[in-house]
Amino acid sequence: MSATRPAAAALRRRTLLAASAAGAGLGIGGLTKPFISRAHADEPIRIGLLLAKTGDIAPQTEYLANGTYLALAERDNKIGGRPVELVWLDEPSPQGAQQNMQKLVQEQKVVAILGGALSSSALAEEATAANLKIPLIIDNAAATDITGKNCNKYTFRLNTPVAVQARMFAPYALNYGKKWYFLTASYAFGQDINRSFHELLAKAGGTAVGNDEVPLNTPDYSSFILKIRQAQPDVVLGGVPAGDLSTFLKQWNELGMRGKIPVCEIAIGDTDIWAVGPQAATGTYTSLWWYKNPVNPPEEQKFTQDYQAKHGKPPADKAWMGWITARSVFESIEKAKSTEPLAIIDALENWRGGSDANPYMYRKGDHQFLLKNLVVQVKDKITDQWDYFDVKATVPEQTGELDALFGSPEVNGCHMNSA
Amino acid sequence: MLDLILSQVANGLVLGGLYVLIAIGLSIIFGLLGIVNFAHGAFFALGAYFALTLYDIFGWWAVVFAPILVGLLGMAVEHLLIRRLYDKEPLVSLIVTFALALMIEATIRLIWGGIGLPFNPPPLFAGFFIWGPVLITKYRTTVFLVTVLLLIGLWAFMQFTPFGRILRAGSRDPEMVGLLGINLPILLTVVFGLGCAIAGIAGLLAAPLWTIIPSMSAGAIMPAFVVVTIGGLGSFPGAVIAGLLVGVVTTLTIQFWPEASGAVMYVFMALVLLVRPRGLLGERWERFE
Repeated sequence: MSATRPAAAALRRRTLLAASAAGAGLGIGGLTKPFISRAHADEPIRIGLLLAKTGDIAPQTEYLANGTYLALAERDNKIGGRPVELVWLDEPSPQGAQQNMQKLVQEQKVVAILGGALSSSALAEEATAANLKIPLIIDNAAATDITGKNCNKYTFRLNTPVAVQARMFAPYALNYGKKWYFLTASYAFGQDINRSFHELLAKAGGTAVGNDEVPLNTPDYSSFILKIRQAQPDVVLGGVPAGDLSTFLKQWNELGMRGKIPVCEIAIGDTDIWAVGPQAATGTYTSLWWYKNPVNPPEEQKFTQDYQAKHGKPPADKAWMGWITARSVFESIEKAKSTEPLAIIDALENWRGGSDANPYMYRKGDHQFLLKNLVVQVKDKITDQWDYFDVKATVPEQTGELDALFGSPEVNGCHMNSA
Repeated sequence: MLDLILSQVANGLVLGGLYVLIAIGLSIIFGLLGIVNFAHGAFFALGAYFALTLYDIFGWWAVVFAPILVGLLGMAVEHLLIRRLYDKEPLVSLIVTFALALMIEATIRLIWGGIGLPFNPPPLFAGFFIWGPVLITKYRTTVFLVTVLLLIGLWAFMQFTPFGRILRAGSRDPEMVGLLGINLPILLTVVFGLGCAIAGIAGLLAAPLWTIIPSMSAGAIMPAFVVVTIGGLGSFPGAVIAGLLVGVVTTLTIQFWPEASGAVMYVFMALVLLVRPRGLLGERWERFE
């Protein structure tokens, strides 16, 4: 093995030198090259897509991207008569995502960026958006701080923050009882869920009979499930993301726990449950959108039909999230008649969508998307390979309650206007 | 508390059995071919995907066909790619097989898509056994038994058949085996296929427990490397002991310090290597010294 050491050392040195040179180049480029935001009329408008292409979050980002591309296809790939190009780069890690944002802005000359699948990456990306002065519309990440204390003028966010979803969902989880077992991922998203629900449980006079933080990409949950079985809680309050939730539910069923102790979680994706299969799927969750919700407005029903025609299966909630985020950006650029960042931001702040019964918009004070959430429950008997949920409630019932439920920007720690 | 610890130890042994199954193919390929196969996790994932697809056509016969298909694919990969690496230093095989792993994962994504696919164990294996404080599911017990049978079969094959003796001799002194008129390249192709087929078996047995997504290969390769490294590179019994130890250490960590359960196997590996750099049962290999 010793023969390999000099080569390995040289390889490390060369890699380090190359990486340093590349890093220096990027840094210097960022300082000296002027930022060009105005695209020429005869050139396509480029919009960046920053979504993970691999990892456990990839099943969700595939749908986010599908929805984004469908929104563009609906417009014949044009905004205001000009062709549009989507440039999709990966977000492999917070640092990698920041580097790819720089590439999108400085090399690809994009006028806005859509993406942010994981909270850990999105928190880093929004700081970069402010530095680069580029509108960033985060479609998936749910960490509270994104539009809370970390908010900035250039960042918008579609998903409902964890703290708000927790407030919406807690009464339904409390229906099962006040002895909760917490099983949350040990990163921003899971810790946020853990903190928010602990506060709500304490206010309700409940107790946490267990509290396990789980490493990301845990392949085996059997030991955690044995602990839960021993603790005998009224409900398991989950905070594990994407593929990890699917794995947990499969093993939950395997150990005979399905139907014995209810499982609750917020901010899941339909694909997480589809991956579990009808035999093992269980639980009560929050969702932003469900393709079979009878109150979906006509344009969303058309989106469902178009998606099904194109992909041969119904759109997951993430597809809708990609679609509505993209629509809001495309329509705002068209309305602004400009690709200048501040003009796009102004148009996004005034954009409105949805129906009279369920309107949605970005709030000016923190750029948080305000919309009603759904409480969905896995059906007792699943006969369709995609139709897993019954919609149990729409929260809040009254549109007028949205602002209060989301909490004012100041209360959430966002001081965008004073910054 | 003692009840729960006993239960976790039993669960750890069963989990360790799965780790052994994932690692054993990697150990065989390194032990006999000297190749550090970073694509082992990708063949593991292919076992799950092939089983899923073939199940729709052949029903539970897919359990037989899927590993065979993975093995045949492994033989093709050895013939086209791996055999060019035998006389290269280990770092080259590591890099090439890493690229192969990425390529296979991308191909899986292209064919089956990125979203998770459901796959559940047959109803025959539903339910569990309860002995006092110990709860073990029928399916995991079956996986453990399959692992034990497979290990006994492999050991007997290597020890008592002429083919096994040639393989062991060829792994130590390929030149001498060649001079004796034995067509070693064909044997090496078969060994690589065998290692991949065992990865395929592990993949299909893990499919009802894990989420079937393209990145499941990454979830398999790291425990496999840890087990093989702790046990001693290329050591068959070393991989078995290491796998069971890693399983028990992981489950006990979950009981007392769940946040550290993802990292504990790496800490355990570091400790073992500090005390015994060749691993628990690792031998001195003249080819790599």
